[in-house]
Amino acid sequence: MRFRTAIENPTTFFKIVQAVEKLQKKCVIRFTEENIHIICASEANEGGMQVWSQFKIDSLFNEYRIQSNNNNEITMNISAEALSAALKSCAPSVSKTYDTEEVVMKLAKKSDQAVLSFEIVGKTSVGRRVRVTHDVRIEVLKAIDVEKLREPMCPEPDIHVLLPQLYKLRTIVDKLKPMSEILSIKASNNGLFRISINTESVKVETEWRNLTNPKMAREESSQNAEEPQNSPPDPDQTFGVLVSMRSFAKFLNSHAISTTTIACICNKHCLILYVYIGDVAEAGGVLTFYLPAVIDDEA
Amino acid sequence: MSSSINEQIIPVLKASVHDVRHFTSLLRGVNFANRAGVTVTQHGLVVAVEEARTLLGTAYIFSDVFDEYEYHSESLKTRSLQHPQSQQDEEDIDIENTAFEIQLNTLIECLNIFGTAGGTGSSGSGKRVQLKQDDEEESSDNQGDNNERNGFRRQSNGRKKTGQGGNTSLDLFFNRSDRRTSMRMTYLGEGSPLTLLIAEDSSGPTTTCEISTFEAEPQLELPFDAKDTKLKVILKSSWLKEALSEIDPSCDKLTFIANPPEKADTDGTVARQEERTRTRAKPILRIRATSMHGTTEMEYFNDRDVLETFDCLEPVSFSYRFVHITRAMRALQTSVKTSLRIDGEGLLSLQFLMPAQRARREGTGHRGGRENFIEFCCLPLDEDIS
Repeated sequence: MRFRTAIENPTTFFKIVQAVEKLQKKCVIRFTEENIHIICASEANEGGMQVWSQFKIDSLFNEYRIQSNNNNEITMNISAEALSAALKSCAPSVSKTYDTEEVVMKLAKKSDQAVLSFEIVGKTSVGRRVRVTHDVRIEVLKAIDVEKLREPMCPEPDIHVLLPQLYKLRTIVDKLKPMSEILSIKASNNGLFRISINTESVKVETEWRNLTNPKMAREESSQNAEEPQNSPPDPDQTFGVLVSMRSFAKFLNSHAISTTTIACICNKHCLILYVYIGDVAEAGGVLTFYLPAVIDDEA
Repeated sequence: MSSSINEQIIPVLKASVHDVRHFTSLLRGVNFANRAGVTVTQHGLVVAVEEARTLLGTAYIFSDVFDEYEYHSESLKTRSLQHPQSQQDEEDIDIENTAFEIQLNTLIECLNIFGTAGGTGSSGSGKRVQLKQDDEEESSDNQGDNNERNGFRRQSNGRKKTGQGGNTSLDLFFNRSDRRTSMRMTYLGEGSPLTLLIAEDSSGPTTTCEISTFEAEPQLELPFDAKDTKLKVILKSSWLKEALSEIDPSCDKLTFIANPPEKADTDGTVARQEERTRTRAKPILRIRATSMHGTTEMEYFNDRDVLETFDCLEPVSFSYRFVHITRAMRALQTSVKTSLRIDGEGLLSLQFLMPAQRARREGTGHRGGRENFIEFCCLPLDEDIS
């Protein structure tokens, strides 16, 4: 098993990990020849939220080399926090005393422990070279365990809508968070997107109009649902789902890296959020958040 | 949403404003307990909050805070009577006003849902602007106040000069920021929620809030006996704010001690004429904070520049719980002038004059209507008068 690559874009990688690190302590990373997948699918997750993400190797790495007995794929369990800390010192920032020149990430074994080793070569402001190494302990998953990782099955979404800028959405959700644990999300095919809470003491409803309803070609290993869409959808019909407020707020942690976010609603079933990293046309990568519906009597 | 059904009903209250910041800052001034009593009158709103039956904070929000303000009394509607103009004042108090209770914190959070209602909840970018304004303001403020401050410094043994006239800087901040929240508020009458329609700009999202209202309970009344005023001080809010912010939060008791100006005692002349002679041998007002560990005392001398008005005929000393006084800090910080009064029973009345809404009146250039203010009334601690 061999794995070695230079990280071309440590800042982006760091922001991606930042977006998922709050979700669960350990996440799964799978390196294949074309893609890197970051997966948070723990059962213990708040409200059953899962994140499946996929990025093109080219958009983050160069001089990428991978070899393994399992179809040249390596899947590992890694502490999200430790990974984020390692990447933080790779990414250039104003507070750092050195400029990063090169970052190499490789699989290594140190005192019988598999680690993902980050070697950072930098230069201080006076021109002295520094070398920083972070070793993050990992656990390589066996092929049989990898098999068990399955992306959640969802029916064909009833509606797709292009979300407004996430930081604006976040301001509002931050205000709603102390008021209710359940957030209702609704959208229709005429560009309406509405988030609301409904408690005994207050009802708050924020709605956007004239958003875009993109036509989605589902690129994933599309699940059996191959319904022919003959009849054009009723533009005024709204589809909604109730989700956990905390899960939704955690999804909004990805506001720093998102360029475009598309929300898909499977009526009263789940909410799927595609957070695109970089230009959508380039398809550098996408973080997919699955939020199951919360069952509430008032639904 | 529900407008189609309710179009026929004349709402009890209908008010709108294009920028909620002034309104919100008035509400924030009394936001020390969640449940607030709101009284709707034809002149505006009165928002009252109490604590421990001892402290009463009241914000008087006159109708000119809003761009549009319409009030239709419920009792008037039902009886459909036309009262003669002469009885108007009496009616205001007895019949016409409508009262309800509301969760104040929820109301403020809703108004600030886009993060552009000012105050602590403002967005990151807003804060940066505000900081910059502070600096600018400091320089301009110093120019204006130089004489006053220097004079004060010389004579009162170098009081700390921090130069933070928070109000002016806020106002500047209000004027410059381009993002603002506008609001329309309706209240249909008893039992119905307070409905807010909030938007940031025409292209952005709109928010509808329905905040449950509760039946009004009899409010705590702490009537100040103006005829028996023992002490009356009017000063710039910053002078009081600086003094109070020096006090350690662990203090549990705050005592106001006032003595009539000395010359007034000996010569028997009115304090106001006397203070020209500028004798400051003895402090006329002292604020003493007592904690487990000791006491802090701050002294104000007889200086017209600081204490604009000082009426006191006999020595006065009353103590209050410091936590209650700190409830007024928020209002104090945003206010321009403070009137501090104590009556014969020791009831403390703090009235904070709130800054005028400059952004709105810029164009017209007049400052019509009444000045909005926030009042705090606090009962004294039960102890022997020292």
